[in-house]
Amino acid sequence: MAFEQDLVALLPRLRRFARGLTGHHADADDLCQAAIERALTARQQWQVGTRLDSWMYRITRNLWIDRHRADARRGSMTSIDDSAVQIADNSHQRMEAQLDFGDVDRAMATLPPEQREAVVLVLVEGYSYREAADIASVPVGTLTSRLGRGREALATMLGEAA
Amino acid sequence: MTFDYDIIMAYVDGELDLVTAKRVERAALKDNALAAMIAEQRALKAKLAAHFYPVLDEALPARLMRPLEKIDTRLASPARSFRWSTVTAMAASLAIGLLVGPQFFSPSSGPLTVRSDTLVADGTLANALDTQLASAQPENAKIRIGLTFQDKAGAVCRSFDSAAIAGVACRQENDWIIQRAMAGSPRPAYRQAAADSLMDDIEAMMAGDIVDAATERVWRDNNWAARGAVHN
Repeated sequence: MAFEQDLVALLPRLRRFARGLTGHHADADDLCQAAIERALTARQQWQVGTRLDSWMYRITRNLWIDRHRADARRGSMTSIDDSAVQIADNSHQRMEAQLDFGDVDRAMATLPPEQREAVVLVLVEGYSYREAADIASVPVGTLTSRLGRGREALATMLGEAA
Repeated sequence: MTFDYDIIMAYVDGELDLVTAKRVERAALKDNALAAMIAEQRALKAKLAAHFYPVLDEALPARLMRPLEKIDTRLASPARSFRWSTVTAMAASLAIGLLVGPQFFSPSSGPLTVRSDTLVADGTLANALDTQLASAQPENAKIRIGLTFQDKAGAVCRSFDSAAIAGVACRQENDWIIQRAMAGSPRPAYRQAAADSLMDDIEAMMAGDIVDAATERVWRDNNWAARGAVHN
Protein backbone atom coordinates (compact mmCIF):
# COMPACT_ATOMS: atom_id res chain seq x y z
CA MET A 1 0.00 0.00 0.00
CA ALA A 2 2.94 2.30 0.48
CA PHE A 3 3.09 2.91 -3.26
CA GLU A 4 -0.56 3.96 -3.49
CA GLN A 5 -0.27 6.09 -0.35
CA ASP A 6 2.79 7.86 -1.68
CA LEU A 7 1.00 8.43 -4.94
CA VAL A 8 -2.00 9.95 -3.18
CA ALA A 9 0.31 12.18 -1.13
CA LEU A 10 1.93 13.35 -4.35
CA LEU A 11 -1.35 14.12 -6.12
CA PRO A 12 -1.75 17.78 -5.08
CA ARG A 13 1.67 18.62 -6.50
CA LEU A 14 1.12 16.47 -9.58
CA ARG A 15 -2.16 18.27 -10.26
CA ARG A 16 -0.39 21.61 -9.98
CA PHE A 17 2.29 20.44 -12.40
CA ALA A 18 -0.37 19.23 -14.85
CA ARG A 19 -2.29 22.50 -14.47
CA GLY A 20 0.84 24.41 -15.35
CA LEU A 21 1.49 22.25 -18.41
CA THR A 22 -2.03 22.16 -19.81
CA GLY A 23 -3.41 25.45 -18.53
CA HIS A 24 -6.84 23.83 -18.12
CA HIS A 25 -8.51 22.39 -15.06
CA ALA A 26 -10.16 19.38 -16.77
CA ASP A 27 -7.25 18.67 -19.12
CA ALA A 28 -4.89 18.67 -16.15
CA ASP A 29 -6.97 16.09 -14.30
CA ASP A 30 -7.27 13.99 -17.49
CA LEU A 31 -3.49 14.06 -17.68
CA CYS A 32 -3.09 13.15 -14.01
CA GLN A 33 -5.56 10.31 -14.40
CA ALA A 34 -3.66 8.90 -17.37
CA ALA A 35 -0.37 9.28 -15.47
CA ILE A 36 -1.74 7.41 -12.44
CA GLU A 37 -2.99 4.60 -14.63
CA ARG A 38 0.35 4.41 -16.41
CA ALA A 39 2.20 4.42 -13.09
CA LEU A 40 0.08 1.60 -11.69
CA THR A 41 0.66 -0.47 -14.81
CA ALA A 42 4.39 0.19 -14.77
CA ARG A 43 4.88 0.20 -11.00
CA GLN A 44 7.43 -2.63 -11.25
CA GLN A 45 9.69 -0.21 -13.11
CA TRP A 46 9.83 2.15 -10.16
CA GLN A 47 12.74 1.28 -7.91
CA VAL A 48 12.03 1.48 -4.20
CA GLY A 49 14.38 4.00 -2.64
CA THR A 50 14.40 6.28 -5.67
CA ARG A 51 12.23 9.35 -5.82
CA LEU A 52 8.63 8.67 -6.69
CA ASP A 53 7.96 12.32 -7.48
CA SER A 54 10.60 12.50 -10.25
CA TRP A 55 9.30 9.26 -11.72
CA MET A 56 5.69 10.44 -11.68
CA TYR A 57 6.55 13.85 -13.09
CA ARG A 58 8.47 12.15 -15.91
CA ILE A 59 5.50 9.90 -16.73
CA THR A 60 3.19 12.90 -16.69
CA ARG A 61 5.34 15.08 -18.93
CA ASN A 62 5.93 12.22 -21.39
CA LEU A 63 2.19 11.66 -21.73
CA TRP A 64 1.64 15.37 -22.17
CA ILE A 65 4.35 15.76 -24.81
CA ASP A 66 3.03 12.68 -26.66
CA ARG A 67 -0.50 14.09 -26.68
CA HIS A 68 0.70 17.48 -27.76
CA ARG A 69 2.59 15.98 -30.69
CA ALA A 70 -0.37 13.81 -31.67
CA ASP A 71 -2.64 16.86 -31.62
CA ALA A 72 -0.13 18.78 -33.68
CA ARG A 73 -0.04 15.97 -36.26
CA ARG A 74 -3.81 16.08 -36.50
CA GLY A 75 -3.52 19.79 -37.10
CA SER A 76 -5.65 20.85 -34.18
CA MET A 77 -2.76 22.66 -32.58
CA THR A 78 0.32 24.38 -33.88
CA SER A 79 3.41 22.23 -33.90
CA ILE A 80 6.10 22.78 -31.33
CA ASP A 81 8.41 24.30 -33.92
CA ASP A 82 5.68 26.54 -35.32
CA SER A 83 4.77 27.89 -31.94
CA ALA A 84 8.42 28.66 -31.24
CA VAL A 85 8.58 30.70 -34.41
CA GLN A 86 5.32 32.36 -33.56
CA ILE A 87 6.64 33.51 -30.22
CA ALA A 88 9.70 34.99 -31.82
CA ASP A 89 7.90 36.76 -34.65
CA ASN A 90 4.32 37.40 -33.78
CA SER A 91 4.34 40.72 -32.01
CA HIS A 92 0.56 40.95 -32.37
CA GLN A 93 0.21 37.89 -30.17
CA ARG A 94 2.48 39.46 -27.62
CA MET A 95 0.58 42.70 -27.59
CA GLU A 96 -2.66 40.84 -27.20
CA ALA A 97 -1.24 38.91 -24.29
CA GLN A 98 0.07 42.11 -22.76
CA LEU A 99 -3.43 43.59 -22.70
CA ASP A 100 -4.38 40.77 -20.39
CA PHE A 101 -1.19 41.15 -18.45
CA GLY A 102 -2.74 39.75 -15.28
CA ASP A 103 -3.47 36.46 -16.91
CA VAL A 104 -0.65 34.08 -16.17
CA ASP A 105 -2.45 31.19 -17.85
CA ARG A 106 -2.76 33.10 -21.08
CA ALA A 107 0.91 34.05 -21.08
CA MET A 108 1.92 30.49 -20.28
CA ALA A 109 -0.23 29.17 -23.14
CA THR A 110 1.80 31.13 -25.68
CA LEU A 111 5.03 29.38 -24.69
CA PRO A 112 6.22 26.38 -26.70
CA PRO A 113 5.63 23.19 -24.67
CA GLU A 114 9.27 22.56 -23.81
CA GLN A 115 9.70 26.10 -22.47
CA ARG A 116 6.46 25.87 -20.52
CA GLU A 117 7.63 22.61 -19.01
CA ALA A 118 10.97 24.09 -17.93
CA VAL A 119 9.23 27.13 -16.43
CA VAL A 120 6.76 25.02 -14.47
CA LEU A 121 9.36 22.57 -13.18
CA VAL A 122 11.77 25.21 -11.92
CA LEU A 123 9.72 28.33 -11.19
CA VAL A 124 6.50 26.71 -9.97
CA GLU A 125 7.50 23.27 -8.68
CA GLY A 126 10.83 24.48 -7.29
CA TYR A 127 13.02 21.77 -8.78
CA SER A 128 16.71 22.40 -9.22
CA TYR A 129 18.04 22.64 -12.77
CA ARG A 130 19.50 19.15 -12.48
CA GLU A 131 16.27 17.62 -11.18
CA ALA A 132 14.19 19.39 -13.83
CA ALA A 133 16.58 18.26 -16.58
CA ASP A 134 16.34 14.72 -15.28
CA ILE A 135 12.52 14.82 -15.38
CA ALA A 136 12.51 16.31 -18.88
CA SER A 137 15.23 13.83 -19.95
CA VAL A 138 17.46 16.53 -21.42
CA PRO A 139 20.94 17.84 -20.58
CA VAL A 140 21.04 20.61 -17.97
CA GLY A 141 22.20 23.11 -20.63
CA THR A 142 19.13 22.40 -22.76
CA LEU A 143 16.87 22.81 -19.76
CA THR A 144 18.39 26.14 -18.73
CA SER A 145 18.24 27.40 -22.29
CA ARG A 146 14.51 26.57 -22.51
CA LEU A 147 13.94 28.08 -19.09
CA GLY A 148 15.77 31.27 -20.07
CA ARG A 149 13.74 31.75 -23.26
CA GLY A 150 10.50 30.92 -21.46
CA ARG A 151 11.00 33.32 -18.59
CA GLU A 152 12.19 36.07 -20.94
CA ALA A 153 8.97 35.73 -22.96
CA LEU A 154 6.87 35.67 -19.77
CA ALA A 155 8.61 38.72 -18.36
CA THR A 156 7.86 40.60 -21.58
CA MET A 157 4.23 39.51 -21.68
CA LEU A 158 3.52 39.99 -18.01
CA GLY A 159 5.60 43.16 -18.01
CA GLU A 160 5.39 45.40 -15.01
CA ALA A 161 2.68 43.23 -13.57
CA ALA A 162 5.23 40.48 -12.92
CA MET B 1 31.34 43.89 -13.16
CA THR B 2 28.79 42.49 -15.58
CA PHE B 3 27.11 39.12 -15.42
CA ASP B 4 25.58 36.94 -18.12
CA TYR B 5 21.82 36.66 -18.19
CA ASP B 6 22.26 32.96 -17.32
CA ILE B 7 24.21 33.82 -14.18
CA ILE B 8 21.54 36.26 -13.03
CA MET B 9 18.82 33.68 -13.62
CA ALA B 10 20.83 31.06 -11.75
CA TYR B 11 21.25 33.54 -8.89
CA VAL B 12 17.48 34.10 -8.71
CA ASP B 13 16.91 30.33 -8.81
CA GLY B 14 19.39 29.64 -6.00
CA GLU B 15 21.65 27.65 -8.33
CA LEU B 16 24.90 29.55 -7.82
CA ASP B 17 27.65 28.57 -5.43
CA LEU B 18 27.85 30.84 -2.41
CA VAL B 19 30.91 32.75 -3.59
CA THR B 20 29.43 33.64 -6.98
CA ALA B 21 26.08 34.46 -5.37
CA LYS B 22 27.84 36.90 -3.04
CA ARG B 23 29.58 38.52 -6.02
CA VAL B 24 26.20 39.03 -7.72
CA GLU B 25 24.75 40.48 -4.52
CA ARG B 26 27.64 42.91 -4.09
CA ALA B 27 27.44 43.99 -7.74
CA ALA B 28 23.66 44.53 -7.45
CA LEU B 29 24.23 46.99 -4.61
CA LYS B 30 26.05 49.30 -7.02
CA ASP B 31 24.36 48.44 -10.31
CA ASN B 32 20.75 49.60 -10.53
CA ALA B 33 20.09 47.83 -13.81
CA LEU B 34 21.28 44.54 -12.37
CA ALA B 35 19.23 45.05 -9.21
CA ALA B 36 16.15 45.82 -11.33
CA MET B 37 16.65 42.69 -13.41
CA ILE B 38 16.92 40.56 -10.29
CA ALA B 39 13.83 42.18 -8.80
CA GLU B 40 11.86 41.63 -12.01
CA GLN B 41 12.78 37.95 -12.16
CA ARG B 42 12.01 37.44 -8.49
CA ALA B 43 8.63 39.10 -9.00
CA LEU B 44 7.92 36.87 -12.00
CA LYS B 45 8.82 33.79 -9.99
CA ALA B 46 6.63 34.88 -7.08
CA LYS B 47 3.75 35.66 -9.42
CA LEU B 48 3.89 32.21 -11.03
CA ALA B 49 4.26 30.42 -7.71
CA ALA B 50 1.33 32.36 -6.22
CA HIS B 51 -0.82 31.72 -9.28
CA PHE B 52 -0.48 27.93 -9.09
CA TYR B 53 -0.16 27.47 -5.33
CA PRO B 54 -3.95 27.28 -4.65
CA VAL B 55 -4.13 24.04 -6.67
CA LEU B 56 -2.44 22.32 -3.72
CA ASP B 57 -5.39 23.11 -1.48
CA GLU B 58 -8.08 21.87 -3.86
CA ALA B 59 -10.01 18.73 -2.92
CA LEU B 60 -8.77 15.74 -4.89
CA PRO B 61 -11.28 14.62 -7.53
CA ALA B 62 -12.74 11.15 -7.01
CA ARG B 63 -11.78 10.09 -10.52
CA LEU B 64 -8.10 10.39 -9.66
CA MET B 65 -8.58 8.13 -6.67
CA ARG B 66 -10.54 5.47 -8.53
CA PRO B 67 -7.60 3.77 -10.30
CA LEU B 68 -5.86 3.41 -6.95
CA GLU B 69 -8.96 1.92 -5.39
CA LYS B 70 -9.36 -0.53 -8.29
CA ILE B 71 -5.92 -1.95 -7.68
CA ASP B 72 -6.55 -2.34 -3.97
CA THR B 73 -9.85 -4.10 -4.57
CA ARG B 74 -8.30 -6.49 -7.07
CA LEU B 75 -5.48 -7.37 -4.73
CA ALA B 76 -7.92 -7.99 -1.90
CA SER B 77 -10.31 -10.18 -3.88
CA PRO B 78 -8.95 -11.20 -7.28
CA ALA B 79 -12.08 -13.16 -8.28
CA ARG B 80 -14.33 -10.14 -8.12
CA SER B 81 -14.61 -7.59 -10.79
CA PHE B 82 -16.22 -4.20 -10.45
CA ARG B 83 -17.79 -1.96 -12.99
CA TRP B 84 -17.54 1.50 -11.59
CA SER B 85 -20.36 3.89 -12.23
CA THR B 86 -20.67 7.54 -11.43
CA VAL B 87 -22.80 6.60 -8.45
CA THR B 88 -20.12 4.36 -6.96
CA ALA B 89 -17.37 6.88 -7.58
CA MET B 90 -18.05 8.70 -4.36
CA ALA B 91 -18.14 5.43 -2.43
CA ALA B 92 -14.79 4.50 -3.97
CA SER B 93 -13.23 7.74 -2.93
CA LEU B 94 -14.60 7.34 0.57
CA ALA B 95 -13.21 3.81 0.78
CA ILE B 96 -9.73 4.85 -0.27
CA GLY B 97 -10.08 7.78 2.06
CA LEU B 98 -10.43 5.41 4.98
CA LEU B 99 -7.58 3.33 3.64
CA VAL B 100 -5.01 6.07 3.28
CA GLY B 101 -6.19 8.54 5.87
CA PRO B 102 -8.83 11.21 5.88
CA GLN B 103 -6.36 14.05 5.65
CA PHE B 104 -6.26 13.71 1.87
CA PHE B 105 -9.97 14.28 1.51
CA SER B 106 -10.78 16.95 3.97
CA PRO B 107 -9.29 20.32 3.11
CA SER B 108 -10.22 21.41 6.61
CA SER B 109 -8.19 18.64 8.32
CA GLY B 110 -6.04 20.05 11.09
CA PRO B 111 -2.32 20.66 10.91
CA LEU B 112 -1.62 18.31 13.84
CA THR B 113 -2.49 14.80 14.85
CA VAL B 114 -1.57 12.47 17.70
CA ARG B 115 0.14 9.25 16.68
CA SER B 116 1.38 6.79 19.32
CA ASP B 117 0.97 9.46 21.98
CA THR B 118 3.18 11.82 20.00
CA LEU B 119 2.08 15.10 18.44
CA VAL B 120 2.98 15.07 14.75
CA ALA B 121 2.37 17.40 11.83
CA ASP B 122 -0.47 16.40 9.54
CA GLY B 123 -2.30 17.60 6.44
CA THR B 124 -1.13 20.85 4.95
CA LEU B 125 1.46 21.42 7.67
CA ALA B 126 3.10 18.04 7.01
CA ASN B 127 2.98 18.79 3.30
CA ALA B 128 4.61 22.20 3.79
CA LEU B 129 7.33 20.74 6.01
CA ASP B 130 7.93 17.98 3.46
CA THR B 131 8.05 20.02 0.32
CA GLN B 132 8.30 23.76 0.90
CA LEU B 133 11.70 25.39 0.62
CA ALA B 134 12.13 28.52 2.71
CA SER B 135 14.06 29.96 -0.21
CA ALA B 136 11.23 29.43 -2.72
CA GLN B 137 7.89 29.80 -1.03
CA PRO B 138 5.00 31.74 -2.51
CA GLU B 139 4.22 35.16 -1.08
CA ASN B 140 0.76 34.00 -0.05
CA ALA B 141 1.77 30.58 1.35
CA LYS B 142 -0.62 29.72 4.17
CA ILE B 143 2.15 28.03 6.09
CA ARG B 144 5.56 29.63 5.96
CA ILE B 145 8.71 27.68 6.65
CA GLY B 146 11.27 29.64 8.64
CA LEU B 147 14.58 28.04 9.53
CA THR B 148 15.92 24.62 8.72
CA PHE B 149 18.61 23.20 10.97
CA GLN B 150 19.91 20.05 12.59
CA ASP B 151 19.33 19.25 16.24
CA LYS B 152 21.98 17.79 18.52
CA ALA B 153 20.83 14.23 17.79
CA GLY B 154 21.27 14.82 14.08
CA ALA B 155 17.58 15.10 13.14
CA VAL B 156 16.50 17.72 10.62
CA CYS B 157 14.24 20.33 12.21
CA ARG B 158 12.22 23.16 10.64
CA SER B 159 10.40 26.09 12.13
CA PHE B 160 7.05 27.15 10.69
CA ASP B 161 4.30 29.64 11.21
CA SER B 162 0.77 30.16 9.99
CA ALA B 163 -2.45 31.84 11.05
CA ALA B 164 -3.31 28.83 13.25
CA ILE B 165 -0.02 27.68 14.71
CA ALA B 166 3.70 28.40 14.87
CA GLY B 167 6.40 26.07 16.10
CA VAL B 168 9.29 23.74 15.42
CA ALA B 169 9.07 20.17 14.13
CA CYS B 170 11.84 17.60 13.79
CA ARG B 171 11.97 14.70 11.38
CA GLN B 172 11.70 11.21 12.79
CA GLU B 173 11.34 8.43 10.25
CA ASN B 174 8.61 9.77 7.98
CA ASP B 175 6.93 12.03 10.50
CA TRP B 176 7.48 15.58 11.65
CA ILE B 177 7.37 15.43 15.46
CA ILE B 178 6.21 18.70 16.96
CA GLN B 179 8.86 19.92 19.42
CA ARG B 180 7.49 23.38 20.12
CA ALA B 181 4.10 24.81 19.27
CA MET B 182 2.32 28.04 20.00
CA ALA B 183 -0.81 29.74 18.73
CA GLY B 184 -0.27 31.54 15.46
CA SER B 185 -1.92 34.74 14.38
CA PRO B 186 -3.66 35.84 11.20
CA ARG B 187 -1.76 39.12 11.51
CA PRO B 188 1.71 38.93 9.96
CA ALA B 189 3.16 41.35 12.52
CA TYR B 190 2.19 39.04 15.36
CA ARG B 191 3.44 36.06 13.44
CA GLN B 192 6.86 37.65 13.29
CA ALA B 193 6.71 38.10 17.04
CA ALA B 194 5.87 34.41 17.43
CA ALA B 195 8.79 33.48 15.19
CA ASP B 196 11.11 35.70 17.21
CA SER B 197 10.03 34.15 20.47
CA LEU B 198 10.79 30.70 19.06
CA MET B 199 14.36 31.75 18.32
CA ASP B 200 15.55 31.05 21.87
CA ASP B 201 14.17 27.53 21.66
CA ILE B 202 15.74 27.00 18.27
CA GLU B 203 19.13 28.19 19.45
CA ALA B 204 18.96 25.77 22.37
CA MET B 205 18.04 22.87 20.10
CA MET B 206 20.40 23.63 17.23
CA ALA B 207 23.71 21.96 16.42
CA GLY B 208 25.76 23.63 13.69
CA ASP B 209 24.36 26.46 11.60
CA ILE B 210 21.03 27.26 10.05
CA VAL B 211 21.32 25.81 6.59
CA ASP B 212 21.44 27.77 3.35
CA ALA B 213 19.05 27.36 0.42
CA ALA B 214 21.22 24.84 -1.43
CA THR B 215 21.60 22.58 1.62
CA GLU B 216 17.90 22.85 2.37
CA ARG B 217 17.16 21.62 -1.13
CA VAL B 218 19.60 18.70 -0.82
CA TRP B 219 18.06 17.71 2.51
CA ARG B 220 14.58 17.82 1.00
CA ASP B 221 15.78 15.60 -1.83
CA ASN B 222 17.04 13.14 0.76
CA ASN B 223 13.62 13.11 2.37
CA TRP B 224 14.94 15.01 5.40
CA ALA B 225 16.95 12.00 6.56
CA ALA B 226 18.90 12.33 9.82
CA ARG B 227 22.40 13.73 9.23
CA GLY B 228 24.26 12.06 12.10
CA ALA B 229 24.96 13.72 15.42
CA VAL B 230 26.86 16.98 15.43
CA HIS B 231 29.27 17.83 18.19
CA ASN B 232 30.02 21.47 18.69
